[in-house]
Amino acid sequence: MSDSAAHAHEAPTSTGIDHKKLIMWLFLASDCMFFGTLISTHLLYRKLYPTGFTDAEGHQRFVQRLFDIELTSFSTFILLMSSFLMALAVSAMHKGGQLKSFRRNVLGVIIFGLIFLGCQVYEFTHFYHQGLTIQNSVFGSTFYVLTGTHGTHVAIGVLWLVLLYFYSFTGRLGGHMGALDVEVAGLYWHFVDIVWIIIFTAVYLVEYLGPDGIWGNGLPPVPGLTP
Amino acid sequence: MSHDHHHAPVASRYDLAPERSDIGLIRPDRFTGLRDWLTTVDHKKIGVLYGAFAMFFFLVGGVEALAIRTQLARPENDFVTARMYNQLFTMHGTTMIFLGVMPLSAAFFNFLVPLQIGARDVAFPRLNAFSLWTFVFGAFILNASWLFEFAHLAGWFKSFDWYNALVYRDFAPANGWFSYAPLSGTFGQADAALRAPRFTGVGTDFWIIGIQILGIASLAASFNFICTILNMRAKGMTMMRLPAFTWMTLVTSFLIILAFPAITVALIQLMFDRQFGANFFNPTAGGQPILWQHLFWIFGHPEVYILVLPAMGIVSEVLPTFAGKSLYGYPIVVFSGAVIGFLGFAVWSHHMFTTGLGPVPTAAFSLLTMAIAVPTGVKIFNWLGTIWGGRVRFTPPMVLSLGFIWMFMCGGFSGIMHAAAPADAQQQDSYFVIAHFHYVLLGGVLLGLMSGLYFWFPKIFGRMPKASVAYWASGLVILGFNLAFGPMHYLGLAGQPRRTHTYHAGFGWETWNFVATIGAFILGIGVFIAFANLVWTVFRGEKCASDPWDGRTLEWSLPSPVPEYNFARSPVIVCRDAFFVHKHGPHRIAYEQDGGEAGVHMPSQSWMPLLASCGFLLAGLGMPMSAMGVPHVGWVVIAGLGVLFIGIWLWALEGPGGYMLKTPVSPVSSAPAPAEASSAR
Repeated sequence: MSDSAAHAHEAPTSTGIDHKKLIMWLFLASDCMFFGTLISTHLLYRKLYPTGFTDAEGHQRFVQRLFDIELTSFSTFILLMSSFLMALAVSAMHKGGQLKSFRRNVLGVIIFGLIFLGCQVYEFTHFYHQGLTIQNSVFGSTFYVLTGTHGTHVAIGVLWLVLLYFYSFTGRLGGHMGALDVEVAGLYWHFVDIVWIIIFTAVYLVEYLGPDGIWGNGLPPVPGLTP
Repeated sequence: MSHDHHHAPVASRYDLAPERSDIGLIRPDRFTGLRDWLTTVDHKKIGVLYGAFAMFFFLVGGVEALAIRTQLARPENDFVTARMYNQLFTMHGTTMIFLGVMPLSAAFFNFLVPLQIGARDVAFPRLNAFSLWTFVFGAFILNASWLFEFAHLAGWFKSFDWYNALVYRDFAPANGWFSYAPLSGTFGQADAALRAPRFTGVGTDFWIIGIQILGIASLAASFNFICTILNMRAKGMTMMRLPAFTWMTLVTSFLIILAFPAITVALIQLMFDRQFGANFFNPTAGGQPILWQHLFWIFGHPEVYILVLPAMGIVSEVLPTFAGKSLYGYPIVVFSGAVIGFLGFAVWSHHMFTTGLGPVPTAAFSLLTMAIAVPTGVKIFNWLGTIWGGRVRFTPPMVLSLGFIWMFMCGGFSGIMHAAAPADAQQQDSYFVIAHFHYVLLGGVLLGLMSGLYFWFPKIFGRMPKASVAYWASGLVILGFNLAFGPMHYLGLAGQPRRTHTYHAGFGWETWNFVATIGAFILGIGVFIAFANLVWTVFRGEKCASDPWDGRTLEWSLPSPVPEYNFARSPVIVCRDAFFVHKHGPHRIAYEQDGGEAGVHMPSQSWMPLLASCGFLLAGLGMPMSAMGVPHVGWVVIAGLGVLFIGIWLWALEGPGGYMLKTPVSPVSSAPAPAEASSAR
């Protein structure tokens, strides 16, 4: 799909790793720092303002009661299963370009990815109606930007896979390079999935640790810095 | 397979029959002139373009610097307004760092890395073109803010009904190059249009989107270079045989890919604060401005090493060449470079000693900052060891490299003083800091880069810059630089604050400020002469031999200018400094039996990287204009993102293509015979 120099698929590289695979690993290393920064921002502010946020009517709201952990667990499970299907799609390509199997599995990944995105859209709308906006609290800002950025990653992944799906009908998605293109997309997809596991833990699950949540809901906010 | 339709090998790409890409468009392989430069994927041409743009922006940043120094020449001067002064120092810093030094380093990366590792191109030629054009458009967007500022000063906007809605004050960025929140951010509650009140004008929005786009360019280029260095080394070119410059490119690229995400996120957060009323750094809503400082410097301190390591790599090539000795302690130089890169991530808070971090972090960052002086000092001693006992030849690049060592050391000494947190508390925000980082970035980096320009210019263009002019320019630069920035040590310790547009008489600052201004103009004249000499050389310079310096690394084994396929036959490396050993030592460079009549594979040129970058141009111009309140301009942003997507999509669909190019090889070897090469000295 993207370019590489001088018969990269024929000439062995110095490391034995294909250019495309190497550059994707490098991108993922960079993306680790990207999400690391976003997640740190969220956790820092959660620690600083453990009490949640204030809605439009001025009511104090607790994050634990805002979250719908069943729904988020469901969408997390769906995303995990999409990674399973992605692995099957990559495997199909490695077994000599079984395009039918590839298409079936990748279609599954696309649908699961869309279900995940649908859940996120629902969640965002629901939270918005519950009074959490990007403007009314630091929690709103960090939550929407962090999970929204992840959602954007998923959306780009879905778009990429849709394009690969249609590309597979042109007859050009074959051989070593075809399998490599799918594998690189797979690396990206698995990474986005792993990041979600971390976000699900650090943003959602920790709120439920202990009777009042890990951030100790009910503590008075820092004087003068009420969100 | 998309590679089946290769034509028979051709002697020149102008002989190619028109070839259609996988999407049916004719590949732009056979153009000359402007269309060739716009679609080129040749790392050497891309390097030249990077260099040309970087030198242009050096001059722009230099003019801004001279305006600053003119304003400060005497107390209570009114050469520029305070408002204009803020924009000048902000754009000076931003321009020099992101549009001057980084792209000039990238010019060297592009031109040299494939040649030094014995490759015919980078791993992703089209991605390389994309990096270039994205940098160019990012630079344009940043500087477009000046056009708005000048139009505003001329009163052109008054006829527009959105003039009154304009966000007051500054069209060009005016926050300093680190754009500290909350000055760069918002305060209070967002209005119905999701905008919170802000302290600064639309210049900050230009800055945010400009730096974001430049970051994308740097990231894409760095992925490419790491891939190239790790994956495309010639046979026998092991990691510990890589030229020192290539090693520093590798370390720098890793720094970029790991440091830039922090600023990317910080910029996204700041953009959300300004455009959508988020509260990341909004103090009245609980945002913590100090988070910006942390995120910025987690990027910003590695950035310092991103700027200096390439210059160190250049010096590590120039000194051995003109001392006639191999680089003393090569593994230690490489290892020190890597340690500097690693420690560079662990010292960011020394920029924040006065923010009240507490004793433990302050002590830790203080110690780590002192620790980073160790690998740097090791390098200095290795360079001295390289010259020691050598047969030193004085040439313009050698003089500039020696200047680098001396000036960089001065900057290092004041750096150690900053590492002591109590002393730093006194020096914070004073001209002492200005003196320190200009000794490092100008006395260090700029001299190193100029040394590289004068060293490799004969290779790039096959013409030799005038040495007499170069010596004069070097002398003026070093003299003017010390006159300009030496006194600032004193001024800083005497209390003159930085980022302040004027000062009162009677503090004892008048004399040295005046001296500094004279020095700045001498420096400006020196840099201008140095650059003018180079530009003159491109067109009129005297033609020179392919190996005029008795070079050590593979690029000197090639003709000048370097042919587009680089190596007629791929070299096989058996030792470090392979070409020098080939000429004077026991090992000849062997060559693989590729190329010749069978041809070598050349990547096809493409419009798509330029098209995709144009998406950034549209989106990047649209965003600050929408912040200004220009109606309907949000659609321009969306159109820009659409163009970006279409560009990348077509880029993927057109396929890499490529053609076979015959290379002229003698039946035995394409390397110059040892005697012939050394006689060219």
